Amino acid sequence: MSIFRLLQATCSKPPSRLYSSSNFVPSCGLSCGRFYHSYEHDRPPPFSPTEDRILSAALSHVPTHGFTTTALTQGARAAGYLDISTNLFPAGPFSIVNYHLVTQRLALAKDVTPARHDPIKIPTNINKLILRRLHANKAIIHRWQEALALLATPTRLPTSLRELALLSDEILFLAGSTDVTSVWYTNRAGLAVIYASAELFMTTDTSENFVETEEFLARRLEEGEKIKSFVGGVGTWAGIQAGGFVDGMRSKGVRI
Amino acid sequence: MSFPTPWRTSARLTRRLLAIKQPYRCLSCSLRLAREEARQDAKTTHFGFESVPAAEKQSRVGAVFSSVASSYDTMNDLMSLYTHRLWKDHFVRSLNPGIHTSLFPSPNQPTSQTILDIAGGTGDIAFRLLSHATTVNNDHSSRVIVSDINPAMLAEGKKRSLQTEWASSERLSWVEANAEDLHMIDSNSIDLYTVAFGIRNFTDKMAALREAYRVLKPGGVFACLEFSKVHNPILNGAYKRWSFGAIPLIGQLVAGDRESYQYLVESIERFPSQREFAGMVEEAGFLLPGGMEEEGGWEDLMGGIAAVHRGIKPTEG
Ligand SMILES: C[S@@+](CC[C@H](N)C(=O)[O-])C[C@H]1O[C@@H](n2cnc3c(N)ncnc32)[C@H](O)[C@@H]1O
Repeated sequence: MSIFRLLQATCSKPPSRLYSSSNFVPSCGLSCGRFYHSYEHDRPPPFSPTEDRILSAALSHVPTHGFTTTALTQGARAAGYLDISTNLFPAGPFSIVNYHLVTQRLALAKDVTPARHDPIKIPTNINKLILRRLHANKAIIHRWQEALALLATPTRLPTSLRELALLSDEILFLAGSTDVTSVWYTNRAGLAVIYASAELFMTTDTSENFVETEEFLARRLEEGEKIKSFVGGVGTWAGIQAGGFVDGMRSKGVRI
Repeated sequence: MSFPTPWRTSARLTRRLLAIKQPYRCLSCSLRLAREEARQDAKTTHFGFESVPAAEKQSRVGAVFSSVASSYDTMNDLMSLYTHRLWKDHFVRSLNPGIHTSLFPSPNQPTSQTILDIAGGTGDIAFRLLSHATTVNNDHSSRVIVSDINPAMLAEGKKRSLQTEWASSERLSWVEANAEDLHMIDSNSIDLYTVAFGIRNFTDKMAALREAYRVLKPGGVFACLEFSKVHNPILNGAYKRWSFGAIPLIGQLVAGDRESYQYLVESIERFPSQREFAGMVEEAGFLLPGGMEEEGGWEDLMGGIAAVHRGIKPTEG
């Protein structure tokens, strides 16, 4: 089953201001629309101070140790904790992946001022926002395939997709496209497919300052604009795109 | 999930036993006792579903375990539907005891752990902790202190240790102690505190949790494996019928001590739910793991027949 279909199955409603959120609601998931949007800062922080200290330290060890238990243990040590304290994270190295995803999404929400609604500018805004988010992966991009492998494990997939959906919502909200437009990717599922494929592409991109990823993203968005949003056609197109893309990457030896 | 064959075999055995003997206590009696318990005197505590004075409980718990020490594995097999060894393996593996020094040494970092296995009677957990530290983490110096209130259980554990490579190792030691009073253990001296199938027997669980907090180093981990509450109502009904009905009778068969087994089964029923117990661990001062997990603070095994609770002692505050 393609990522798109999974997303489509879980997000029946179009995105709106209500969906965009600063952190996820664990018991709620994709299928429920009671998220608060970025303007509301009354949400509790997603990580406790201790989790924050250990996981951010662990993340700084990812370039050398990868998304591994070793990085987590080094994080605990750096934060003044014991090796055994990593029991605070039963999900193990996946906790570091999740920490990176959540904190980078929150950083986007914090640093970018939401655009005023202007349908003409939406594609450009989306392009800029995706690139901005992708650039936050630079330091760990050579390890990101390990993260993708962890994100794709069956037990983690619901969490992974929920986080991807939240990122899509955030980008749509910040781009000012909270109303329905005729461009198919201005919805949670469509944008998620484009983002995920660009992110994956970037893991094999060796070009200067990731210009090839930039071009790849531009092509995906351009293609998307040509397709008017009509039910069914969109799903089929995106399903084929995502499926074919994953197969293609697999044949290149990417572990997904 | 489906029950393994032992369920059917033992159900048949139960029917046979029931045909031979009149059961001397029935489920409905136990339920009646449970209801009466709501009106009980504040100075009493639970001995299964019977209310007994707190001071007496300790000695009665002692009596239970002396009489079942050697046939205790059989009971655990039956109560856990033959999976307690797997649970114990999982419990120890997920805790990952031992320090992997050779892989990434850092200066000023302790190179061994002191682990305290409470209610460790049979040594079952202790041997696994030592094996894991040694074979998985290549740690040849971390130590385990096995502690139990009952000298007969400790004797059983020592006897069993003779079958292991830890028989005369200085990495294994034995201490007779009530988990509610660990005065012989220094404060802030333990890296990992484990208790498997023990805490439900403690008279004052909060006192035991506070002692765990005291003896643990900052950053140290409290870990508890215990029978718990089954969430699925159908599975719960089946498991209750199984445990209340069949086990005491089989207990009588294997140990000739029906009362003790009845106590063991009923003490499971008495134990707080996963959520309540997680609340108690937090109240004792521990950080609970897994804010991002569905069930933060604990992990259910086989739909909640057992659960693992963990808490981390914070380094500040
Ligand atoms: C069911 S056995 C568990 C043995 C072992 N941990 C295992 O899992 O194989 C329960 C143990 O708890 C011990 N126990 C009961 N009350 C205790 C207390 N207050 N303090 C310490 N140990 C206690 C009993 O003596 C008995 O050995």
